[in-house]
Amino acid sequence: METVKVAIPAAPRYVQVVRLIAAGLASRLGFTLDEIDDLKIAVDELAAYLTGTQGRDGTLDIVFGVAGQRITIDGTAHLSIGDGVRTDLTDFSRMILDTVADEASLTEDGGKPSFHLVKSRGS
Amino acid sequence: MTERGGLTKEEVRDLFHRYHAAQDEDDRTRLRERLVDQYIGLVEFLARRFRNRGEPLEDLVQVGTIGLLKAIERFDLDREVEFSTYATPTVVGELKRHFRDKGWAVRVPRRLQELHLELTKIVSKLGQDLGRAPTVPEIAKEASISEEQVLEGLEIAQAYNFTSLDAPIDADNGDSTSFADQMGGEDEQLETLEYRASLAPEMAKLPERERHILYLRFYKGMTQSEIADRLGISQMHVSRLLNRTLVRLRHALEE
Repeated sequence: METVKVAIPAAPRYVQVVRLIAAGLASRLGFTLDEIDDLKIAVDELAAYLTGTQGRDGTLDIVFGVAGQRITIDGTAHLSIGDGVRTDLTDFSRMILDTVADEASLTEDGGKPSFHLVKSRGS
Repeated sequence: MTERGGLTKEEVRDLFHRYHAAQDEDDRTRLRERLVDQYIGLVEFLARRFRNRGEPLEDLVQVGTIGLLKAIERFDLDREVEFSTYATPTVVGELKRHFRDKGWAVRVPRRLQELHLELTKIVSKLGQDLGRAPTVPEIAKEASISEEQVLEGLEIAQAYNFTSLDAPIDADNGDSTSFADQMGGEDEQLETLEYRASLAPEMAKLPERERHILYLRFYKGMTQSEIADRLGISQMHVSRLLNRTLVRLRHALEE
């Protein structure tokens, strides 16, 4: 698996950069426009839990993995606030993510809120 | 004298009378469709005035039609004005709001607006030719530009979402019932979705079309391209509306 890493401030306007990178990688794998849009929606949905809608003090490490026709995206938040970040998906988020991604989860990994996202071409 | 759509003034008056008096939902839908047919020319005429702003005319007509439906709903025959006179500010208002919501005209460079317009056309054309959503390389080839430019152009559509978030969320949902009727009301099933109670009021406030797109995408599992076909708007417009709606709901949930 080949990887691409990026660190961004934990704010929605920088999540757009993550969307672009995700789209660029997915495009190389031959994803259709609909699939790319789905991937972007999934990125937004998961990243929003880490950044909040107003942004938070800290950074997000994002690791993109590309293997075959599959893209994985892992995000980990390094925030100055230790708690107050919800890491259980709402039912509504769950429904969205089930529609647009193959796998999507939110966890608290060693005190750091993280997400994991997988989407394959043709899914 | 005949109005644009071919009916005489008297026939139009009669149509409005019957529309406002009709109780049966099917009758109302049928009469409303006749009124829309009668005045769609007006909407097209007005939409053309906005066509140099980087949006496909068909999408603008779609937006303008929402204004037309609002005007049909509110028009009072006791007013001593022609319906077309009455409807024009409503239709224009809807079109202006469409641009204002996006902060598009002022914030997005002309070059990117044109790129976006070009991509919208190409995505629609390729979608029809291929019978599926196109890939980025396919779009790049057709547009004779680089894949990076395509990606940038696609992302532009979403960029204004961030700027428009500060704008107050309009709550004129009372006006949008006409759109619900037009859609056939099937997305009432959206009510049955399991979502957090705190989201329900915001869901109810969404414009009918946005709710419908939400329903078709996440409840019916239709792709964005399929939804675009179904609603007669571009895939990129669906993408934009969907993203905007999700951002809005996310904000509502956090507050």
